Amino acid sequence: MRVVATLLAALTLLTVGATPAFAVDMVDAATLQEIPQAFSGKQIQITGELIGDYGFRDDGTVWTQLNDDPYATKPLRDGGRLSGSNIGIGVHGDAGLFENLDPPGRYDRAGPLVTVTGTWRFHDPNRSGETYLEIQTLTVDRAGVPLSQSMSTTTLIVGVLFLFAAAGVLVSARSRLG
Amino acid sequence: MLLRPTIDDLRVITYNLARMLLISAAAGLVPLVWAVLTGELAPAADFLVMVGVFSLAGTAGLALKPKHDRLDWRHGMAVVALIWLVVPIIGSIPLILSGNYARWIDAFFDAVSGLTTTGLTVVQDIDHMASSMILWRHILHFLGGQGIIIAALSLFSGAGTATLYFGEGRDDRIYPSVRSTSRFIWLVAAVNGIAGVFALFLVAFLDLGFGALRSFFHAITVFMAAFDTGGFAPQSTSIQYYHSAPYELVIAVLMIAGVMSFGVHFALWRRRSVLGNLETKTILFTFAGTLILTQIGLAVAGAYGTATGLGRQTFFQVLSAHSGTGFSTIPSAELATWGGLAFGGMAIAMALGGMASSTAGGVKALRVGLTVKSIGSQIKQVLLPEGAVISDRFRQNGPRHLTEDLKQGVMAISLLYVALYIFGAGLGLVYHVPLQNALFESVSAAANVGLSVGVTAPGMPASLELTYALQMWAGRLEFISIFALIGLLWSLVRGK
Repeated sequence: MRVVATLLAALTLLTVGATPAFAVDMVDAATLQEIPQAFSGKQIQITGELIGDYGFRDDGTVWTQLNDDPYATKPLRDGGRLSGSNIGIGVHGDAGLFENLDPPGRYDRAGPLVTVTGTWRFHDPNRSGETYLEIQTLTVDRAGVPLSQSMSTTTLIVGVLFLFAAAGVLVSARSRLG
Repeated sequence: MLLRPTIDDLRVITYNLARMLLISAAAGLVPLVWAVLTGELAPAADFLVMVGVFSLAGTAGLALKPKHDRLDWRHGMAVVALIWLVVPIIGSIPLILSGNYARWIDAFFDAVSGLTTTGLTVVQDIDHMASSMILWRHILHFLGGQGIIIAALSLFSGAGTATLYFGEGRDDRIYPSVRSTSRFIWLVAAVNGIAGVFALFLVAFLDLGFGALRSFFHAITVFMAAFDTGGFAPQSTSIQYYHSAPYELVIAVLMIAGVMSFGVHFALWRRRSVLGNLETKTILFTFAGTLILTQIGLAVAGAYGTATGLGRQTFFQVLSAHSGTGFSTIPSAELATWGGLAFGGMAIAMALGGMASSTAGGVKALRVGLTVKSIGSQIKQVLLPEGAVISDRFRQNGPRHLTEDLKQGVMAISLLYVALYIFGAGLGLVYHVPLQNALFESVSAAANVGLSVGVTAPGMPASLELTYALQMWAGRLEFISIFALIGLLWSLVRGK
């Protein structure tokens, strides 16, 4: 009997050992939005651009947004094509992870492209129902890139011409109407 | 006999339209200056074109000054209906030049959505959009919510200008003159603006940990969208972006302030109670009802798991729906999964809308209250002995009598809203949108809410997009001025 019990215990340990305790799912933001409950409490890994703001809170953590849409790798002002709406998730982690990172993406720059691993919190009861990724690791795949958009001289000239035309009409109307 | 409008009629309309275009030109200077100050020079040139076109159209219209600048009802209604079309057409110029829209119709759709304080959007890559362009989208909310018309009434005088005020679906006359009333509305907006922007700034700066300039930018854009019950947000994830209960609380207060009629603001400023008003009682009842309905639906489905989670998320979503704002703290894809009672609660909240003479859309609380009261009277009439006298009185800033004319007017407008909701949903079905989603999106557009279950998206069929734009326009103006415009155009063709 003892032998059987020992064998069973050994088998159980082997089975548990064969399955990684912290299996990480590679997932994208669109899937997380479509079936968020499927990853609730799971370890996931996602790659995308940090965007908007780094909200450094008093509790020593940071909130920000991670987008993994096509603009994350090729923004419009870097030759990217229109590819629909942004797709992103909220991410939360220790402030230490965000120190020394390039600023997040906005109009004038592409934010750092990062791969983050963390726990997907779906309807987190500790945060009254919020959904976000609690990150544990963050690696930078591409540093932030400044983006520029030169002013179109044609647009500027057209704008000025319209204003001159408006002024001309006004002056002419005033003189006509007295 | 149908009378064809004279040249002078058309000049009166054009002249008054022109004055409002010049106000829009002045509004366009704000994002232009912002763009220059923040070094966004390419968008600055785009705004210059828009300001130029507004100015040229405005001055050209002024040059056609009529002999008598007297607006009658026909003129006033036509001006109102037209201004809500012309401003989005010209206002969409910088949006299409921004490169964030695939088609001109997309930019026009967003401009209509902005001006009508709806908040549905087909913008692409807003997260990399110029801050000045985002600011312009929100200024459109402010122009539509506070009213270009209100601005015009505050600045210009002229006989018959009251027709413009009523043409915009407003019927609160706080002071004897429309001009004084308009100025009071601007005062309310200014006071709420200072308090709202300050509160949002403080939370963003002190609690969210944003920098000063970014805190101010978020505060000013979110204020305009919340107080004017618009729903555009500076980031793609709407209010979910902030992950902050205090920020949501400030937004909720602003949404409540936005959903109140200016008559209620006036009464509160004078420390008069408004709880006895039929409209107040109705909106409190319908808000509580739709909130409970949504909560039961989600609780049965096992969503959230905790009372605090369920409470916080449903309160914000239902308030956003009922006030016609359209902010959300959950993604569209998740909202689309809210079925049964939760869907019913949200759809009803959107359809009913806010208070009359506020920036909210939908049927409006006063009409809902009066409809219920009318039905109640009918039932009483059947049950009571023949010849019994039934009191048809209600309280709305004093005792009022529910006349037959009032009953008919209320019923007609309410039915038009229902027809508009069904029309949009029907067209959605043609495009194979599931019934629930088609209905949700149609109500959201026609009631100027802006919540989406994903039907409104870049690349949507152009005819569906135009239909939603038409619904937003008709819903915001409460139909009458649009009928007047159609009548005017018809009389131009067939009149004698």
